[in-house]
Amino acid sequence: MDQGLVMDRQNMDVDIVCVGFGPATGGFLTTLSRAIAGSESEAPLMSRVMPGMPLQVLCYERADDIGFGVSGVVTRGRGIKKSFPELDVSQIPMATPVAKEKLLYLLDPHGASRRPAALEGIDAMIRAVRSGSQTQDSSIEVPYVPDFLAKHDGFLLSIGQFNQWVGTELMGSGLVQVWPGMPVSAPLIEDDRVVGIRLVDQGTESDGTPGPGFMPGMNVHAALTVVGDGPVGPIGRQLDEHFGFPEGHHQNDWAVGMKMVVDLPTHCPLAPGTVLHTIGYPEPEIFGFLYVHPGHVASLGIFVPTWFDSPVRTSYAYLQHWMKHPRIWKYLEGGSLRSWGAKTLQESGRRGEPHLVGDGYARIGEGSGSTNVLTGSGVDEAWTTGVLLAEGVIELWRAEQPFTRQNLDAAYVTRRRNSWLEAEAKESEKSRDGFQKGFLTGLLGMGLTGLTHGKLHVGPDPVPPRDRIPTLEEYYEGRIPPSQIEAIRQECKSKGEPLHTALMEAAGWPEVEYDGELLMSHQDALLRGGKVQAPPGYADHVVFVYPSLCESCDNQLCIEVCSGQAITPGESGVPQFDREKCIHCGACIWSCAVPREPGAHAGNIEFRAGAGGLHSGEN
Amino acid sequence: MTPFHIVVCGSLVPDPLQTLEPTLGPEGPGLKNEMMLPSVLDPWAGHALYEAASLATKHPESRVWLVSLGPKARLQQLMMSIAQKAKFELVAIDSSASGFIDAQSVARTLATAIDEIDGLDKNRLLLFGGCASASRDAGVTVQMVGELLGLTDQFLAVDELEARDDGSLRVLERIEGGKYLASTVRGAPAVVAWATGKLPEPPNNPQVGMQNMRTILPALQKAKAAIPNRNSIHYQEVAIPQQKRETRVVKDMSVDEIAREIADWIRG
Amino acid sequence: METILVLLHIDESGNLPRIAFEALGAACELRHGGNANFAIGIIGGDIESAAGKIGGCGATSFFGVSHPALEVSRYGTDLAALGALVEKVAPTLIVAPSTSRFARVLPGLAVRIGGQIDTHITSIDPGAEGDAVFAERWYYRQRMKAKFTRDARPWILVVDGGAFEPWKGETGSVALQMVSPWAEGGPGDNVTRTQVSGIETGESGTQTIRPDADLLFVAGAGWAKKQADGQTHVPKAEKLILGFLEGAKASLGSSKSLVDQSSEGQAVLTCLSHLNQVGQTGTTPRHQKGLATCCHGEEPHVVGWRFVQERRAVNLDANCGWARGKADVVYVADAFEVVEKLNDLLGV
Repeated sequence: MDQGLVMDRQNMDVDIVCVGFGPATGGFLTTLSRAIAGSESEAPLMSRVMPGMPLQVLCYERADDIGFGVSGVVTRGRGIKKSFPELDVSQIPMATPVAKEKLLYLLDPHGASRRPAALEGIDAMIRAVRSGSQTQDSSIEVPYVPDFLAKHDGFLLSIGQFNQWVGTELMGSGLVQVWPGMPVSAPLIEDDRVVGIRLVDQGTESDGTPGPGFMPGMNVHAALTVVGDGPVGPIGRQLDEHFGFPEGHHQNDWAVGMKMVVDLPTHCPLAPGTVLHTIGYPEPEIFGFLYVHPGHVASLGIFVPTWFDSPVRTSYAYLQHWMKHPRIWKYLEGGSLRSWGAKTLQESGRRGEPHLVGDGYARIGEGSGSTNVLTGSGVDEAWTTGVLLAEGVIELWRAEQPFTRQNLDAAYVTRRRNSWLEAEAKESEKSRDGFQKGFLTGLLGMGLTGLTHGKLHVGPDPVPPRDRIPTLEEYYEGRIPPSQIEAIRQECKSKGEPLHTALMEAAGWPEVEYDGELLMSHQDALLRGGKVQAPPGYADHVVFVYPSLCESCDNQLCIEVCSGQAITPGESGVPQFDREKCIHCGACIWSCAVPREPGAHAGNIEFRAGAGGLHSGEN
Repeated sequence: MTPFHIVVCGSLVPDPLQTLEPTLGPEGPGLKNEMMLPSVLDPWAGHALYEAASLATKHPESRVWLVSLGPKARLQQLMMSIAQKAKFELVAIDSSASGFIDAQSVARTLATAIDEIDGLDKNRLLLFGGCASASRDAGVTVQMVGELLGLTDQFLAVDELEARDDGSLRVLERIEGGKYLASTVRGAPAVVAWATGKLPEPPNNPQVGMQNMRTILPALQKAKAAIPNRNSIHYQEVAIPQQKRETRVVKDMSVDEIAREIADWIRG
Repeated sequence: METILVLLHIDESGNLPRIAFEALGAACELRHGGNANFAIGIIGGDIESAAGKIGGCGATSFFGVSHPALEVSRYGTDLAALGALVEKVAPTLIVAPSTSRFARVLPGLAVRIGGQIDTHITSIDPGAEGDAVFAERWYYRQRMKAKFTRDARPWILVVDGGAFEPWKGETGSVALQMVSPWAEGGPGDNVTRTQVSGIETGESGTQTIRPDADLLFVAGAGWAKKQADGQTHVPKAEKLILGFLEGAKASLGSSKSLVDQSSEGQAVLTCLSHLNQVGQTGTTPRHQKGLATCCHGEEPHVVGWRFVQERRAVNLDANCGWARGKADVVYVADAFEVVEKLNDLLGV
């Protein structure tokens, strides 16, 4: 390669560098860019690294487009509406106001889910009392959506379309630059001060060694590094490793959210703006959603949380079973897949909050613990963290104050602490602890916390996922004999397949018949819906740090949980990673069953900055 | 060495991985949710751009312009994904990038825009583009632009261009049977419609991106709107032909039997 | 009444290429039983004998431009020659084959004569006499097909290979009327700045897509991936594929992902280049049969064999998007093993 061969590491100086373009960075840049432009009463913000020029702000996004994010979004949008007081959501493709909201309890039509005895009792009562039409489709409508869950005054979004809309508005201003397709590999830390970031090396072999056209990642030096790279972003996690968590904080609760965007069949009666929340099936712990966008299109999916203690915690198979539930399938049958994707949700909320600021850096968005786990809302909260940071940054820049921990604390953290965001985050902080003790305790706990505005909660402090996952034999006790489990284990290993499909079938789950339109193989969903890509010239971003730990791991949850089947059983016992199938959901990181060092929080999987992934703009 | 003035015509097409569905409205055909579809630089135009950037680095003082016709908001987004790959100056034209618009209308708009490029020396002009597009896929636009600009040395489906010391250009064009037609033109001006060329896609170079942004944003801001001529073609229907086949899935046959069945099929 | 001009050129051997007869077949469909004015125009070096080959096509007149400068394919001289023919005949409809030579020059011709042009035409509906002529072609890389018409004339219709029945008829002597675009001195310096030096073979030798082969063998990325033993076996894959091509006299196509690997310096199949790529950004060749091996993917990659009539696939995944609903048969098996066995049977 004769034009791009640059062997020396390049350096660049900017004023502010942002990592990751999602709703948080969208909020940050929207607010900041207005100040850069200035107004009649305020002078424009000027650069210090390029005197005479406007403030130099760059944002690097890992994905190949700013619209390739994933989220199922129904939001009250308080922060977003505040940023855009004249907001007409019809201008954002796929967005629409919430028109109708329902909470459905789904019974198990197959008897295959693992329901606690008390829940089975409730199911039996429901069936006995409501033998009429409502239970014909194995569901009942919960007569009341609790206020803390309701989004009546909100709207539905496709996060991909929303990000594109925000990005287009931003770039149209010409005041900030957002560069997609550019993963950031590391923070630059000097004496505990973050001085910028390093971009990923390009032109490497899959093991990271320089290959043809090698170009070392550039160092971007900035007075302020804004980290908004999501719940599993490599920069946020490296900062966590370096600086640790504040006393009492931890990130032990996680979930995989997997979704599809579907062209609804013509017979589907659901109107745009309809919101369905489901509980109870395919497993009691797995919640579902279905949101109807304009144009007879729906976003739908499930959340599979860490407190669902299955050692074969597959999202894809459960998503299919959920879609096939009679209550859901009656809306979907005859529809076709438009898009598919999955992401990790950081479900520890405020308790998972890292150090929000330090010398030279600030954290925003989901990775900063902004998701509200009681209201099930994250996008608007993330947006608001970005807005609050921008307000603080504008204040400091105008006052010519440096971005020290102390100044950022005063300008940003204080704003955050005094906001509605913090008040609600505090209320919800322990709302899901009950799920540590089971589904019903969890529901009870959520209800109590929600209705008492956080005064009451139920359940203990969550433990790391690896400390609560039972063995296969324990989990399937009374359902599948250990000898059969062992036989399945051996067979799947020889075929290089995950265990979940075989085990679920052995446990009574019906085989999912593919229709080629909505129900299809996992790989077809990846290609048709997710359109997953992996550009050449980048190193593998999933690395099994100590192979010997994987060899001796008999509970390779990373394989079972992988949203793209990118991690599969390996010959030597070390799982194999196929970058071309990875959708960067990051579930392998927190699902790893072995600590990297004895007693360490980190597992044996390193999830580095990686290029490619989903290529769908509708998720 | 002679510096070149290379003008690359190239615009956006839907990301080839997206599901495309045609619609037929009063204005003519389009794609469902066309403005929502993620887009990429047309792959052949991309090859042309990377070849242009490579040629320019070998011939100091050369300049590269990218003349791009598409909806302004989409162009802006496209620039963020290609501006880090090659150094160029953008000439943006705000118009539909639909594949259903007549190539000649597009060619006339492009030729006018190229004529108006400040500082372009037509004696040094190499007009680059793709040999086809992933939207209209007609393979005619670049030649038309060339003809409108009065360029009589044109090459189609080029995989290699060698600029020699005497100023001449040796060109390999793809022809039938997987062969190449080798020609030499005395020098610029010439039209080169690229096939895939020989260069891999360049890595994202942030510094190139920063340099490009200096011209990209002003170019986008002053992009002229062009109204395409939709009257020259009358579409009666646009459809995705249903080609679903009944696939016989053979799971339990031995390798020997499979090979025998395929061999019989090939011979039959 | 339309006046139809069929533009043709001879190839390096002095003959009309096969696709010229297909273009002639397409033009005959436009004639409404012979009512339209119908002329032939041929360019090349020595064109007399080629004109005789289509003497019985029913054209009302035959025109030609013959000149040593036209022995080679070159935009400037070709354009001048074709322009002279159009000026002579003043056609309303021009039908021409989609050869590389004409694909290069005809768009320029459309500009020069103030006409319209559509390429890759796969069918023509002449309608009843006096009705609009409709044509069909694919858009967005064979993803969708449109039927359309134009009012303006002249209208150049460039027909795709394999889409029309070739004209078959009697040879016969023709009164070839020669047209000269140039003064006595021949073409001027302005159109001969380009010198054609000859034809070269592509890098991957004869193993590129050959439209004349009955069978298209599509090699997918699976050939270069780790096999059951955890290792790649690229040299073996290459040997098996080349052996098969020889034994089955097949044309070689490849998926984009495998070709991309070739250009990125990985352990690759050296027999492949971008010339082999079928699908979204490659070609969409026409063959009677297609055998896909180790291919993996969905639309848009599958467009690569949209015009392959009979399709079979060998794949380890029965649900592979390349095959499901797209192939007639999918064999769930290891392609290494199957092709090895096939090569034995084909006597390689």
